Amino acid sequence: MTKVKICGLKEVQHVQAASRADAIGFVFAPSKRQVTIEQAAELAKHVPVDADKIGVFVNPSLKEIEDTVAGVPLTMVQLHGDEPDELVKAIQVPVIQAFSIRTKEDVVKLKQSLADYVLVDAPGTDYRGGSGNVFDWSLLDGADIDPARLIVAGGLNPENVHAAIEQTTPYMVDVSSGVETDNRKDTVKIQEFIKSVKGDFVEQTMEKVGFFGKYGGQFVPETLMKAVKELEDAYNEAKDDPEFHKEYHHYLSEYVGREQPLTYAKRMTEAYGGPKIYLKREDLNHTGAHKVNNAIGQALLAMRMGKRKIVAETGAGQHGVATATICALFDLDCVIFMGEEDIKRQQLNVFRMKLLGARVESVTKGSATLKDAVNEALRYWVTNVEDTHYLIGSALGPHPFPTMVRDFQSVIGEETKRQILEKEGRLPDTILACIGGGSNAIGMFYPFIQDKEVELIGVEAAGQGVDTDKHAATLTKGTDGVLHGALMKLLQDDAGQVQEAHSISAGLDYPGIGPEHAYLADIGRVEYRSITDDEALAAVISMSRLEGIIPALESAHAIAEAEKQAKQMTADQILVICVSGRGDKDMATYAEKLEGLA
Amino acid sequence: MNRLEQLKNSGNKAFVAYVMAGDGGLHRLKEQVQYLQGAGVSAIEIGIPFSDPVADGPTIEAAGNRALKQGVTLQKVLEELQSWTFDIKIPLLVMTYLNPVLKFGIERFTTECRKAGVSGVIIPDLPYEHKQLVQPYMDKENIKLIQLVTLTTTDIRLDEILREAEGFVYAVTIKGITGSRDELSQDVKTFMQKIRKKSPVPVYAGFGISKSSHVDMLRDDVDGFIVGSAIVEAFNAGKIEEIEPLIRAVTTA
Repeated sequence: MTKVKICGLKEVQHVQAASRADAIGFVFAPSKRQVTIEQAAELAKHVPVDADKIGVFVNPSLKEIEDTVAGVPLTMVQLHGDEPDELVKAIQVPVIQAFSIRTKEDVVKLKQSLADYVLVDAPGTDYRGGSGNVFDWSLLDGADIDPARLIVAGGLNPENVHAAIEQTTPYMVDVSSGVETDNRKDTVKIQEFIKSVKGDFVEQTMEKVGFFGKYGGQFVPETLMKAVKELEDAYNEAKDDPEFHKEYHHYLSEYVGREQPLTYAKRMTEAYGGPKIYLKREDLNHTGAHKVNNAIGQALLAMRMGKRKIVAETGAGQHGVATATICALFDLDCVIFMGEEDIKRQQLNVFRMKLLGARVESVTKGSATLKDAVNEALRYWVTNVEDTHYLIGSALGPHPFPTMVRDFQSVIGEETKRQILEKEGRLPDTILACIGGGSNAIGMFYPFIQDKEVELIGVEAAGQGVDTDKHAATLTKGTDGVLHGALMKLLQDDAGQVQEAHSISAGLDYPGIGPEHAYLADIGRVEYRSITDDEALAAVISMSRLEGIIPALESAHAIAEAEKQAKQMTADQILVICVSGRGDKDMATYAEKLEGLA
Repeated sequence: MNRLEQLKNSGNKAFVAYVMAGDGGLHRLKEQVQYLQGAGVSAIEIGIPFSDPVADGPTIEAAGNRALKQGVTLQKVLEELQSWTFDIKIPLLVMTYLNPVLKFGIERFTTECRKAGVSGVIIPDLPYEHKQLVQPYMDKENIKLIQLVTLTTTDIRLDEILREAEGFVYAVTIKGITGSRDELSQDVKTFMQKIRKKSPVPVYAGFGISKSSHVDMLRDDVDGFIVGSAIVEAFNAGKIEEIEPLIRAVTTA
C-alpha cells in the first residue's frame, strides 16, 4: 500500500495529527515552512519511532546535511536543487531527489538519478519543486521508472490523492500545502488525507505487516528469526489456500464439535432485568474451551511446515490440554511448560495432558506462573528451533502469532454474527469477552470491528483490586513495553522490569496483552474494564444457578461485567457474552473458595 | 578515538568478558571491571539484569535475579559507570534487553551511555528488522549497535546484517541460549569462516565458550571470543582466578 509523507511540519500538534503517516518532512531550505535543527529535533520526539523523518534541502553542503541528519536525527534526506551525483552518493542515509515535471523530457531525468527515490512535482514558483499545483500525471505513462522508487507530490489533497495513486501506483505520496488552511497546517485535513490514502484503521492494521498501530513486531533473539519468518511465510501461503481452510474446518466440525450454539439465556435475561442475553458456548468445545480452535489450526500449519514436534506453555492448562489433545490426534511429539504454582492449582489438567501423552515440564523460576512458562517455552524453542513449532496459545508473541491466533479464533465471532442475524435479524448492541492474553476476545471481536454500532467490551482480571499490587489489569494499569516478542501494554516497574500479575484465574494472570488489543484500546474501538476475583466468583454461582452452566473462572469475569453492563441497557437491546470455557478445571478452586455453599 | 576501533586495529585475538552488573551488589562491579582489565581482557560487556531474559541460560538468569534482588536498575548501572574515576583502557559494552531501554527512554539511554564512556550496546531481542528503533540515537552519540548472527541466520539476512555491521559481529556458536557447553559442533567452524569472509568488522564468537579447547578449535576462524556464563559463575563462586588460563589461551598468540 502507498505510504504517506506529510511535509513541512512546524508544530507539535500537527506532528501528532500525522501519527498514522509513514514519514514526516522537515524543511531546512529557505521557505515559510523552514525549521532549524533544534526545532526539528524537538518535533521529532513526537514522531512514532517507526516513521521516517525526512529532511528537505535545496543545494546544501554535505556538512550541512550530515549535521542535520545527526542533529535531529533524520532517517532520510530529500534534495530539491541541482545537487551533483557526488553529493547524492556521499549521503549516508537514503536519498530522495525531487524533479519538476513539465514535459516527457523531464521524466527521462528520473531514470538517471542515483538517488534511492525520485519525487515528482509540479514546477515550482516560490522555491524549487513545490508549487502546490497538480501536474499532468499521464506524463509518467510509459516512463521506465520503478514505482517502488517513485514518490508523487504536487497539489495533492484528500480529494485527488486516490486518482494520483491509481494512475501512478507510487511508493509514497507527499503532501504539504494540500493539508493547509490559510498557509498553516490543519490537523483535520492532515488526518483526512491519511485516511483517504490508508482507509480506516482496520485497513491500516493490515497495511503494516506485523504491527497494529505501534504494537506488535518481532522482538526475538536472532536464533528465532528464521523460524519466525518461515512461519510468517507458511501462514501467508496457508491462509490463502482453500484446501487448508477445508481441512481446518473439517476438524472443527468433526472433532471439536462446531458450530457451537449461541444460547439464549432466558433466566439471566430475567434476573438482570435489562437486555436479551445470549451466550456463545465455547465451553461446549471438545477439551472444554476455545483454545482448541487455535491448537488445530497451528498443528495443521506445523505439519505443513514439516515440523512434528510441538512446544507450548500453559497457565490454566486449557491451552496445554488442547495442545496435548491435538498432538495425540496427529501423533506429534509434545512438550508443555507450566508454572509450578499453576501445576498445583490445575492438577486435573496436568493429569489430562500426561494421559494424552504430553511431557509436562514444571517451571520453578520467577513467579512460577504463565509468564515464566512462556520464557521457558521460548528458550526451549531457541534450542530446538529446527524441528519444533512453538504453539502459542494466545494472541501474543512475535508476528505472525497475534494475527494467526486471531484468525483461527475468529470462527467464534463469525459464527456469532451469523447466528444472531438468524435469531434476531440484527447485530447485538454489546459483546463481552474476558481478556488474559486476549485470544477468545479478539476471536469474538474481530468480525465485528467494522460494525461500529456494536459495542465491544473486554474484561480483565482486577484480582484483589486494580489499586492493589495483586491484579492482572494490563490495559487499565499497564504501559508500553516489549515482552515475549511484541511491543504491547505491560505491567512493569519504573526500571522496565516485568511485574508479576495476579488473578484467581490461572488463565488470566499474564502481565501483557495481545498487541491488537492494545491498539484497539488506544483507538477506543474496544472498551476494557476489570473485574475482581470476588466478583468473578460470585458470577460463577449466579450463572451456574440461573442457566445450569458452570463457567470457567476466566469466563466468569465477562459474566460479572455483563451483569453490571445489563443495568445500563434496555429490554429492546441485545447483549452477547463469550463463555470461553467450562468450569471443570476450576472445581478445586471453587470447592475451596466457595466452601460455604456446600 | 573510539576504543572499539583501537581494539580492531590491535591485531590480536580479543577476549570479551561478560559480567552481570550488580551480582553480589553494584559496588562489586567496579572491582570486577578493574580485575578483568588487569587480567588482560580486551573489552568488557556489562549485563543489565532483566526479569525475562529469554536469550540467557540458567547461569546468567540466576545472576540477573540476584542483581534484581539487590535493586539494580539500568539507571543505577549507568550512574555507577559515570562515577568511576579510575583509568579504563578497554572498551566497555552494555548488554541489555530492549524493554529496560524503552522504559528508560532510547535517547536518554544513548546519551547516558556516552557520558558513561560506553563504546557499544548489545540488545539481543532487537533484531536487524527493528534496529532503526535505536540506531539513529546510537549514531548520534557515536555508540556502536552490535549485531548478532547465528547458525540459523539465512544467507540473505546474513548479507544484510553484515553490510551494516559496526564495531564487531557477535557470532553465536550454538543453537540455543547462553551457558557453558562441553563440545561445539563442527558446523560452527564452517559458519565462522563464512561470516569472517563476508564481514567488514571483526567476528567474535560467543555463547557456550568456556574451555581452552573451544578456543583452540576456533582461534584461526575468528577475531575474538566472548565469555559470559563461565565468568559469571567464577565471580559468584569466588574463583575468578580460574578464568585466567582461558584469557591467556585467547590473548597469547
